Amino acid sequence: MIAYVANTLPFLWEGLLVTLAVSGLVVAISLVTGILCGIGLVYGPLWVRLPIRIYSDILRGTPLLVLIFLIIYGLPIISIDFGNYGSAVIALAAFKTAHVAEIARGAIQSIHYGQTDAGKAIGLTFPQRLHYVILPQAVRRFLPPWINAVADAVKGSALVSLAGIVDLTLAVQQVIGRTYDPLPMYLLGAFMYFAINYSLSLTSRRLEARFAYIRE
Amino acid sequence: MSQPLVQVRGVKKSFGTTRVLDGVDLDVAKGEVVCVIGPSGSGKTTLLRCINLLETYDDGSIKVDGVEVGYEDGGGSRKRRSERALAPIRADIGMVFQLFNLFPHLSALENVTLGLTKVRGISKAEATDRATHWLARVGLSDKLQNLPSQLSGGQQQRVGIARAVAMGPKVLLLDEITSALDPELVGEVLSVVQGLAKDGMTMIVVTHEMTFARDVGSRIVFMDDGRVQIDGPSREVLANAASHERLKTFLARIEMKH
Amino acid sequence: MDYHFNFNFVWRYADKLYWGLLLSLEIAFVSILIGMVIGLGLALAYTGGGRLVRTAIAAYVEFIRNVPLLLLVYLVFYGIPSAGGFAYDAQTSFVATLALYSGAYLVEVFRAGLDAIPKGLIDAGKSIGLTPWQRFLYVRMPMMFRIVLPSLSNVYVSLFKDTSLAYVIAVPELTYGANWIKTNTFRVIEVWLVVWPMYLVTCFVLLQALRQLEKRFSLVRR
Repeated sequence: MIAYVANTLPFLWEGLLVTLAVSGLVVAISLVTGILCGIGLVYGPLWVRLPIRIYSDILRGTPLLVLIFLIIYGLPIISIDFGNYGSAVIALAAFKTAHVAEIARGAIQSIHYGQTDAGKAIGLTFPQRLHYVILPQAVRRFLPPWINAVADAVKGSALVSLAGIVDLTLAVQQVIGRTYDPLPMYLLGAFMYFAINYSLSLTSRRLEARFAYIRE
Repeated sequence: MSQPLVQVRGVKKSFGTTRVLDGVDLDVAKGEVVCVIGPSGSGKTTLLRCINLLETYDDGSIKVDGVEVGYEDGGGSRKRRSERALAPIRADIGMVFQLFNLFPHLSALENVTLGLTKVRGISKAEATDRATHWLARVGLSDKLQNLPSQLSGGQQQRVGIARAVAMGPKVLLLDEITSALDPELVGEVLSVVQGLAKDGMTMIVVTHEMTFARDVGSRIVFMDDGRVQIDGPSREVLANAASHERLKTFLARIEMKH
Repeated sequence: MDYHFNFNFVWRYADKLYWGLLLSLEIAFVSILIGMVIGLGLALAYTGGGRLVRTAIAAYVEFIRNVPLLLLVYLVFYGIPSAGGFAYDAQTSFVATLALYSGAYLVEVFRAGLDAIPKGLIDAGKSIGLTPWQRFLYVRMPMMFRIVLPSLSNVYVSLFKDTSLAYVIAVPELTYGANWIKTNTFRVIEVWLVVWPMYLVTCFVLLQALRQLEKRFSLVRR
């Protein structure tokens, strides 16, 4: 039994690395795009706000799995082919962008308008106000829900296994395909996801407690 | 007579269908302390916020030190000033807020130095010197490193004053700066303002503190229904209040609250 | 772009999508009902229970919340029967998974709801002589359900989207129907271009309907 688990470990490890790579890419891309969209939602003129609003509502109304299939099969039709791996990452990142945008929007809007007034009154320009007044405060409201969104991204990445990408979930299944002993392997896989995500959610809670002082 | 420091002419402003300012005229000379009083909804706070363009005005003209605030000068057509162009103008107009609006993530000292370094471009060391000086002036030498959440309301408001004054503004706008304070903290804030008045700081003060208006204000402007109803030397306005129906009612109502 | 769209095949098998959509809605509904029983029971047990009970409940909640739903689906359908020596059909297994899954989220929702009931209301209940059971039935429950209603709506819509995962164990819901048409007609993109709006519109209509419902139960009327 122990020998058998030990044999599968390198294989699972590679799957885990793929899961981490996919999640990492998705988190990095969506952090940038999401924050830009969030800022656009709050401060943009109508022609910026409206498309982002529609984008975000559509994406959040679509099952992630459907989105992945749409992009994997849809992009080649318009002669764009990133392969399954690239398409899956794009799908996950597009999905996460909508969520990060809403988190960023909420964080920025939670800041009292008096802060903007005060910044204007001492002569700060818009970029300066963002940099020195709004974002340093917004980041405290942004981080805890964002870390939860990172955990969601790790969980969501399991769906790439359905596109044939050998991530942790597919690695687990392939091992089971050879051993016909599903329960221990599924539990082991679940535990590996749990270890990653639970530490993320602990971090989120700790940050939330630490930033609790900043309330008006 | 030389040009007034602040010149407001025929300013109109509506929120939707509600007309808040209905043709306001006001002149403030250098060194004057003008107290604006009036019932809530009379437009006094909106007027103040128009002077540094936290609110835009629809019609009329507001000049500070000869410069039209909201619109670019010249020509028949009026073009709104961009946010970028407004920043340096606002830097010369100080404002203190009813709810303090201190930056909660910055210490008392940093609240004051932010504008000095980023807007005025003053070196960090000199900004710190200047901020320390003004915080001492408002009696907060021992609170430089405190966050706003660690200060009382009165102390926070004094930081707010230091933040505005340190910028070296041409005129200071004070928007009901004691309304959010517990009664026992009002005195410490008003005495700071009184000190500034003695130094010759030009101020426009929206206030409900009639004692302050009488003793510190050089003029009282009574607003109602979006217009200036009375404008005259403080003691004179208050002495003749009985002959003006609206002012009399307003003062009686304030009296009752106290 | 030289691809020629052909939706005829999709229309021919449209009943697969239609019944699939209904099954998706049904699965989500049954799951959230069971999930609410689990969630409410555990939330009450947590509030009134000792340390051991609390730890056990927290372990369940944290496990479910930190593992991908897909893995839970596999675990319940393939893993547990293999060890227990029994079998159940895919749909039962999936409903069980989704119920356990939503239960874990609803424990938190109900706990927050119970916490948010103003203490004065309980005191008022005591003062007019209601027994603990009566206070539970007539004060705490009606208040809590009104507080958590918006969260319940969100959980239901999100469960509806999650039913798409049932296709991996061949439950004939909407996504399974889409895949069936795809494999049998090779009109891949057409299928998804039809199924995607079906999900979208359903989510949108559901949300609007649930918001109306929330308004009817809202404590603030205008």
